Amino acid sequence: MHPQGVAAFPHYYVGIDSLARLATREDRVCVLNITGGESRTVTPVSHAFSGGNVVCGTAPGRSGSVMKTAAGDIPIYDNLPEAMAAGHRFNVVVVYLPPAGVRDGVLEAVRVNPDIDKIVILTEKVPVRDARVIRAIGQMHGIDIFGANCLGIADAHNRVRIGGALGGSQPEESLVPGSVAIYSNSGNFTTTIAVYLLTAGWGTTVSLSSGKDLYIHYAAMEWAHAFHNDDRSKAAVMYIEPGGYYEHELRFHKPVVACVVGRWKARLTKACGHAGAIAGSGDNAAAKEEWFLQKFGVDDIFTPENPVCSEKGAVVVNIAHIPAAMTAVMARNGIEPDFEPRGDLSLKCWFSNTQGLKLPEQLNPPVVKAVPPYDEQIAALEEQVGAVFPRQVMKDASGASMMDPNSQVTRIHGTSILDAATRSYEENLVQALVREYPDMNGTALANVALNAFVNQSGQIGLAAAQAARRAGNSPNTSLSAAIALLGPDEVAAARDAAATLIDLFRHSDLNDPSDTAFDFSGPLERALAGDAAGVLLSDAACSRGGAMLAAMAARGAKSVFIEFLQALAERRGGSLRGQVILAAVTTHLAWPALMRKRLSITTVVNLPWHFRIYSALVGSAADEEQQQPGRFCGVDDDALMRDWSFAETAHLALLGRRPDMEALFSFSVLLGLIISNGPGTISAQGAKGAVSADGPEAPKRVQINKCYLGFLSHTGYAHGGNGFEAISFLLDRFRDTGLANPGSREHGLDLAAMALDYAREYLEYKKKAKAAGDLSYAKIPCINHPVFKGEPVNYDPREVFVSDLFSRRGSYNIFLDFYHELVQALYKVGVSRNVYCVNVDAVIAVILLKMLWQPHVEGEISEQVMEAAAFTTFLFGRMIGSAAEIEDHINRGRNMDTRTPASRCSHVG
Amino acid sequence: MQITGMYWGSRLLDYVDFPTSEVLGPEADADRIAGLIDRHGEIFIKPMFKGGVGRKGKAGLLGRARDVPTAMKEKARLYFAEHFHNGTPVKAEGVTFEGAVPAEHEIYFSLTDSTEYRAPIITLTHYGGMDIEELPPEKIARIPFDPLTGLKGFVVSNALKRLKAPRELISPLVQSLPRLWDLYHTYGMTTLELNPIRMRPERNGRLTPVACDFKCAFDDDDPNWKRLDLPASVDASSYSEFEQEVNRLRTYQGQSDVFVINEQGTITAMTFGGGANALVTELLGESATISSDFGGNPPYAKMHDISRIVYTYWLEQSNVLFIIGGKANNTDIYETFRAMADALRDHFNSHGPQPLYVVVGRGGPNLIRGMGYLRDTLDALGLPYQMFGHDSAMSEVVNFAQAADRWMAEGGRELVAKRLGIG
Repeated sequence: MHPQGVAAFPHYYVGIDSLARLATREDRVCVLNITGGESRTVTPVSHAFSGGNVVCGTAPGRSGSVMKTAAGDIPIYDNLPEAMAAGHRFNVVVVYLPPAGVRDGVLEAVRVNPDIDKIVILTEKVPVRDARVIRAIGQMHGIDIFGANCLGIADAHNRVRIGGALGGSQPEESLVPGSVAIYSNSGNFTTTIAVYLLTAGWGTTVSLSSGKDLYIHYAAMEWAHAFHNDDRSKAAVMYIEPGGYYEHELRFHKPVVACVVGRWKARLTKACGHAGAIAGSGDNAAAKEEWFLQKFGVDDIFTPENPVCSEKGAVVVNIAHIPAAMTAVMARNGIEPDFEPRGDLSLKCWFSNTQGLKLPEQLNPPVVKAVPPYDEQIAALEEQVGAVFPRQVMKDASGASMMDPNSQVTRIHGTSILDAATRSYEENLVQALVREYPDMNGTALANVALNAFVNQSGQIGLAAAQAARRAGNSPNTSLSAAIALLGPDEVAAARDAAATLIDLFRHSDLNDPSDTAFDFSGPLERALAGDAAGVLLSDAACSRGGAMLAAMAARGAKSVFIEFLQALAERRGGSLRGQVILAAVTTHLAWPALMRKRLSITTVVNLPWHFRIYSALVGSAADEEQQQPGRFCGVDDDALMRDWSFAETAHLALLGRRPDMEALFSFSVLLGLIISNGPGTISAQGAKGAVSADGPEAPKRVQINKCYLGFLSHTGYAHGGNGFEAISFLLDRFRDTGLANPGSREHGLDLAAMALDYAREYLEYKKKAKAAGDLSYAKIPCINHPVFKGEPVNYDPREVFVSDLFSRRGSYNIFLDFYHELVQALYKVGVSRNVYCVNVDAVIAVILLKMLWQPHVEGEISEQVMEAAAFTTFLFGRMIGSAAEIEDHINRGRNMDTRTPASRCSHVG
Repeated sequence: MQITGMYWGSRLLDYVDFPTSEVLGPEADADRIAGLIDRHGEIFIKPMFKGGVGRKGKAGLLGRARDVPTAMKEKARLYFAEHFHNGTPVKAEGVTFEGAVPAEHEIYFSLTDSTEYRAPIITLTHYGGMDIEELPPEKIARIPFDPLTGLKGFVVSNALKRLKAPRELISPLVQSLPRLWDLYHTYGMTTLELNPIRMRPERNGRLTPVACDFKCAFDDDDPNWKRLDLPASVDASSYSEFEQEVNRLRTYQGQSDVFVINEQGTITAMTFGGGANALVTELLGESATISSDFGGNPPYAKMHDISRIVYTYWLEQSNVLFIIGGKANNTDIYETFRAMADALRDHFNSHGPQPLYVVVGRGGPNLIRGMGYLRDTLDALGLPYQMFGHDSAMSEVVNFAQAADRWMAEGGRELVAKRLGIG
């Protein structure tokens, strides 16, 4: 049984007699799950638009907090009884709960608050099972329920919006008072139709987004009754989709334009778009068109070319025809539009680029000025240089890297580390920050800049690193000492120079900074006229600056920014310091991405700091004795700048010699593979935590060198240093074999036999350990993988990729060969039930060991040095990924966003 | 998720102890089939169609046998039988062997939710043996009932009395049919149809209702049916690989509904909103590859995933990438456009550039920032594009996309390819 509502509905309860009562200024609203993703942006707008009609909201665990809005704060409670106990009174409940919570939320609201007469359910995908219960509850308690899966109600006359986001973030743009009521199965089209009607001079009374679930709780029959009783509503638009008999029995006493769309849905055998639109029954689009044609006494669809209508109404199948149909129907009733047409629906192109193609006229429409306020926004967009990223909580999230859980391959700015491994070290260092790889010219400039600052002779940082090494610290700890001393003041000149260059060139139409034909006279005159020259030039001569320019000339590297600086120095008189040249190089590298808004200005200003850290980290890895003024590890600084790639310099710092082509390739692959394992990896977490703690919302205060300390302190003997485990394992296997050259296939060793011997040995060890109850017995490093397992023969696709890469170059590695024999042997002797994969960590170990083998057997380096070299190599590679995370977090993160709420922490007694 | 036939139907009906005909699956060997014939005298051989393939037209695909050789012959005939359903060819994957149930009375029964009554409703008639649609209304009882109390015996009793059903039918049906509500409501069904239920006489003369065919549809939004542990393959055939991949992203925030329109289509429309989906798909017709609705303010990561999947399946063959929606109320245009742009750039990075014309029609929060981001990306990729605001009629923008598609088909594609350096 149900309480008696509007008399016209004797068989079920309807409480609202007129659309004028659908959304009133007197309605007081409580929002369930007010802090949910959608409500968070919608409710403050609704509240302000409606003069402050939301009295409270609920969000479990948020009691005591408030939602800030332009119309004042909305208090938040854990639950409804608490809100009621606080004295709040409301008659409307708006539901933003997740689908599984909607039914219980409605039941609870009805239970605790007898004053409720309307419930608006915004949630999509509410199970039908719950919808049928919600319907019954509403009927039993005399409550009008709207939705679910709707966008609520808006009354343009009352200036009230309840529930969803009709009219979007600027409701007054679309909800202009007039004489047409809207009933729409589509939430988006509710607003779109209101906007379209404006173009024919029609405003709206009440817009209702009905939802299109199987259960439409407040549906067409009830709405039509209320429409007839609303004196403000002279006509209506109904947007109707297939499915359901809600409109079948409708009878109208006022003009209506019905738009029925979705004939194609007759092809569907399953729901698509809106649940319930299932074909095959008598409620498809064709049937519904027919219903309305009969109601209006017309025999065809209204189109501008065939404007069929009666005084009762018209049927359209294209929403663009609604305004014309409305005007035509109303003309037959002698009613003029509410106001002068606002805008029109003709094609208006706001952005266009034909890419120089000869297109037919139809496909090359003129770009027109957009309607306010979009015109101003477009103008501002044209002024804006660089990207502005929305800030969000970046804990465990990254805009720089992501690991595919299926392939375990990490991508950095969209490039897989497998592809990155085929790039040079310096290219990857640039890409980590700039998001794009440099061209050959850019790479040459980067090599000059990175090598210019690699020699740490005389730097206090090198002394600190050396002292740390002597104290027995691990490489990450020692290098931290050097990086800690590279604070903001050390790079202020370069950062100021970068900011100045951006300012001078931002509206110069420079797109390609390698195009030295570019006319930079404009920026030059501005620099001469203002303060820029003071930032970019210095009185004292700088030998590093001169050497960098000479090296660029020797490499044939060109840059508009460099030529600009030289011209400025010539015109004004003065010298170019190394730091300024560095800024010109980094700005050059970033410029195309900045212009395409892939990068922020913040990043471009930060780049010189990152570059200095790159150089300092590599430079400080070399022993103090290897560095003298003008000479690094036995090579002149000038020669490094002129002839060496930064990858070669890193190899030099690590192993004391320049690599040959093959060694350079292996070294680059190695560094590429180490770049990143996604934002969850410990090193990334350390870097991100350091950014978060400085407060990225004030990006200028973030100490980038400290962020690298976060990365370095979050590496260690278990993360980064563990690469040596595999090397140590292989050393044990090969120590007494007399192996001379691990790159030669003519090694003369029976690897299969060696593997089999070890497999048997391991089997015995494992049996004994298990018999003794030791389940944490030593595992063989670098084989098997939690993802790549379970097949008769298993492969880690990353290892396969790199093995193929080397194999195609004819490059051989005995240690990798041994690993492949080993997994077979382990299977043969019964250690494993299938053939384990050789995982990607093995690749890293075997490349390193191959590089270090000869110096080791020749007694040049001890195992301790070898371990340090392995660890440092990891740091060199991981620096790339960490740089990307640091800069990404600075741009996107919120202050202290990596903290874990106390509620998610646990105590272990 | 939809299920047709007794193979799975009998297992579901077992949950509520509703008697069923005896059913063997396609794996049954000759001995078991012989046993079935021994017990029932006659058996039916029915092709198994996956998903919600309807009954109509299926009658001709029914085999009968009283001996094993005939049963095997019918099995061979029907195992991969083809059948048109809603104009689409579907193929059987196996057969069932079902014991015949002797009966004088056949009952039609269904449970569903009615949009006329906005309540669950039973449809019942004892005038079986013909299609329910062909019966006059007075011979069918359609009775809504309160979901809070469920389907009770008196609802069934009243319905049968109104139909003037023979007395001997009433008690057995009153006792058995309410059990189906448990199956229907507890496991998240939206339709349950038993047609026919044959009233088998027992030795004491009492009739037992035996379900001889089964059809049900589950609510995709209701997790309860997953408790039944039905294998995904039961309904897999009704979704394409692309649809299945997108469906895996189904969460309550943001729509991700897709439907393949034409595997040879040349316009791939990323559509936002149910209304836009309905309109745009209708206007594009067969030139569309897919129909989609990605509205509901999907977060960046979900939109990026959706875009990646769409591009992987459809971009190569497409002339036009069409991003279209009305004036969004709540969908953040910047976030969705950024995701689509980034995914497009990633796609080009991994698959290489490809000739494409991009047409955009959209409105909503952060519109210009979103369009600006997409513009910069398309400029970088070297693709031609036009973007229209929400004050351009959506249908006009569709016409524009179709004109771009025609131009691409008539030689433009080669010109764009040349511009990209891949011609």
